[in-house]
Amino acid sequence: MPLIELKDVSKLYGFGDATTLALDEVSLTIDENEFVAVMGPSGCGKSTLMNLIGLLDRPTNGDYQLRSRYVSKLRSGQRAKIRRDTVGFVFQSFNLLPRMTVLENVALPLVYKGISPSKRIKQASNMLERVGLRDREFYYPRHLSGGQAQCAAIARALINNPSIIIADEPTGNLDSASSRLVMELLSDIHKMGNTILFVTHNPELTRYATRVVYMHDGAVVHDEQTAIGDVAPTARRIMFTVPSKNDEDDLAGVSTLMKNVEGDYKEEPAAKKPARKKATGKPKARKRGGKK
Amino acid sequence: MSAINRGNIRMALASVRSTKWRSMLTMLGIIIGIVSVVMVVGIGEGVKREVAHQIDQFGKDLITVRPGKLQKDNGRIVTNTDLLFGLNSISGLTENDLKTIQKSDHVRLAAPLGLVPGSVKAGDRKLDQTMVIATNSSLPAALNRDVPYGDFFDEEGEDDNVAVIGRSVAGALFDDFVPLGQTFEFRGKTFIVRGMFDDFKSTPLSPASNFNNAIFIPHKVAEELTGNSVQMYSILAKPDKLENAKAAQASIEKRMLKSHGNEEDFSVLDQKQNLAASSNVLSLITTMVAAVAAISLLVGGVGIMNIMLASVTERMHEIGVRKAIGATSRQILNQFIMEAAVLSVVGGVVGIALSIAGVFALRTYTSLKPVISVEAIAVATFASLAIGIIFGTIPAIKAARKDPIEALRHE
Repeated sequence: MPLIELKDVSKLYGFGDATTLALDEVSLTIDENEFVAVMGPSGCGKSTLMNLIGLLDRPTNGDYQLRSRYVSKLRSGQRAKIRRDTVGFVFQSFNLLPRMTVLENVALPLVYKGISPSKRIKQASNMLERVGLRDREFYYPRHLSGGQAQCAAIARALINNPSIIIADEPTGNLDSASSRLVMELLSDIHKMGNTILFVTHNPELTRYATRVVYMHDGAVVHDEQTAIGDVAPTARRIMFTVPSKNDEDDLAGVSTLMKNVEGDYKEEPAAKKPARKKATGKPKARKRGGKK
Repeated sequence: MSAINRGNIRMALASVRSTKWRSMLTMLGIIIGIVSVVMVVGIGEGVKREVAHQIDQFGKDLITVRPGKLQKDNGRIVTNTDLLFGLNSISGLTENDLKTIQKSDHVRLAAPLGLVPGSVKAGDRKLDQTMVIATNSSLPAALNRDVPYGDFFDEEGEDDNVAVIGRSVAGALFDDFVPLGQTFEFRGKTFIVRGMFDDFKSTPLSPASNFNNAIFIPHKVAEELTGNSVQMYSILAKPDKLENAKAAQASIEKRMLKSHGNEEDFSVLDQKQNLAASSNVLSLITTMVAAVAAISLLVGGVGIMNIMLASVTERMHEIGVRKAIGATSRQILNQFIMEAAVLSVVGGVVGIALSIAGVFALRTYTSLKPVISVEAIAVATFASLAIGIIFGTIPAIKAARKDPIEALRHE
C-alpha cells in the first residue's frame, strides 16, 4: 500500500489572464521509508508539490490519497490534525518562533495535541538530545547557528513521530558543513523508518536519497531510483552544466550567466531534451507499488 | 482548563510582557473606563448610604414639605430632580403654608428653610458661597440637634439681628474657634453670632448638605431684609408623638391641599419618601455618569481590537508556522481571543487597583465617602473580560481563517 498517491493533481493560482499553472496533472506514488529528493529549477512547482503533500494546500484538480484516504476534500480542522500527527515540516528558513526558547519551539506541536506541560518538556528535551542540542535547550533561536537552528527545526518536526518528513530546501541557508550535519540527521531519521521528501538544488545531496524526482514547469519530468551514497545520474549531468565563473570572467567583468546564455544557448536545450522526452510519458506509466 | 488554554494564557502574558509599552497603552483605555465606572458607582453608592444615615440623624418622624408635585408610579416614588432641590418653585412655599402646617393636627412644630441671597462680610473677609437660611426657633428641635455653643434664637429673639452659624463658617469668617458674640454684615445689617452648631454629617445632595456652611437667621428678620420675598425651599415639621407621624402627614397634606385650592403643587414626605426621592435621583445621576464612563470602556475595547489586528498582521508568519505544525483554526482563534482577554483583564485588574486607591484618596482628602462593593469589582472584571472577548474576536477570526500557505509567505 503506497503511503502517498497523487493522481493527475493540478494546482492553479490566480484568475483569468493571470492564471498560473503551478502543477500540471502530476501523478506520483511514494512508498513508506523512501528518501525522495525533488529537484528542478526555481518556480517549477517543487514547493507547491510539497505543500500539497503536506496538506498545507489543496489541489485544484486531481486526487490525493494519504494511506489510501482521500484527503484533499477534508475540512481544514481534520487536515490540521493529519498535519500534526502524520507530517513534519522542515523549512529553508527554519521558521522557529523567535519569542520562544528552543525547548518551547520543539514542544509546540505537542501543545496542539493537548499534552501536559511536564510531558511536553520531557519529550522535547529527549528530542533535542537526539539531535545533539540538549545543551542549547534554553537558548533563543537567534542564539543558534544556522545548522543548529535547522536541527532544532528537525527536532520539532519529529516530536509527534510523524511518518512523513517534508523538508523544503533544508540546506538552502546553510554552509556545506552544516548542510552535511542536517542531511546526516535526516538520513538517520530515514533509517528509523520515516519517509522523507526533500527539495534541493544541490545535486550532491542526492547521495542521501533513494529516489530523485525532477520537475519542470509544474510537471514531473524524470523520476529515478538511486543508490544511497551515489549522486543520481541525472543530477550528476546537471552538476556539470551548472554555470561556473572563473578569474577571467571576473577580470572581464562579464556575468557568468550572460556568458552561458551566449555560448551554450544552442547546446542547452539539446542537452535537456532527452530528459524531458523521457519524462512526458514516464510519470503516468510508472508503477512503483510494492517497491521498498 | 485544558493544557492548551493554560498554554495560551501563558503565551498571552509573555506577549504582554514582551511588548510592555504597547500593551500598557492598549490597556489604558480599559483602565480609564474601569476606574471611571467603578469610582462613579462607588461615589453614588457612598452618597446613597450617607443619605440613609440621615434618617437616624434627623429622626424617623421628620416630615418634609417641599414645593413641587411628587410623581408617583404605582405607589413608588419616581425621580424628580426639581423636587430635590426645590428648583421648580417659582413661588416656593409661603408664610401661609408655614402657618397651615403649624395648625395641622398632631404637629408639634414646624420650621421653614428659606434661602436669602447675598454675601456675608466680617471685617475684611467676605464670603459669597455661604448659604444664609431664614428659619425660626423650632429648627434645632426639627433637626434633632442641640446647639452646643451658645444657643439658638428663641421665639422672642426672632425679631433680633442674631445668627446661628454652621461649623465651617466659623473658620471661614472668623479666626475664632467659637466666635460667639462676634458680628458680621449681611445686606447692610449687622448680625451677632449667638450660637454655633456642631458638625452636621455631610450628606451631599441632601437638604442638610450645606448646613455646616450655613448661617441661620430669623425668618422675620429675613423678610424685612428682602421685602417679604424669602423663598422657602422646604418646611420641616415634627409630630407630637412618633406614632402620630402618619396622621400628622395626612393632616398637613389635607390642609395644604385645601389652602392651595385643591392644586397639589407641593409634596409632604416622611423621611423614607424623602430618602427614596434622593436615592432615585442619585441612581439616575450615577447611571447617567456611569453610562458616559462606560463609553471609555468601549473606546478601550476598540483600542484592543486595533492592536490585536496589528498583532495578527505582524505575526502572520507565526500563524502560518503554527498551522503548519498542526494548529487547527479553532486553536489559533482561541489563542488570539485569549490574548485579547488577557490584555483587557490585566487592564481591568489595574483599573480596579487604581479605583481602590482613588476611593481611598477621596475618603482621605474629601468629604465624599465612596464605597467599592464586591459587586462593583465583579462587574468590572466581568466587563473587562467580556470586552476583551468581544473585541478580540474579529482579529482572532482573521487570524484563524488565514490560509497557512499565504501566512507562511508573509514576512
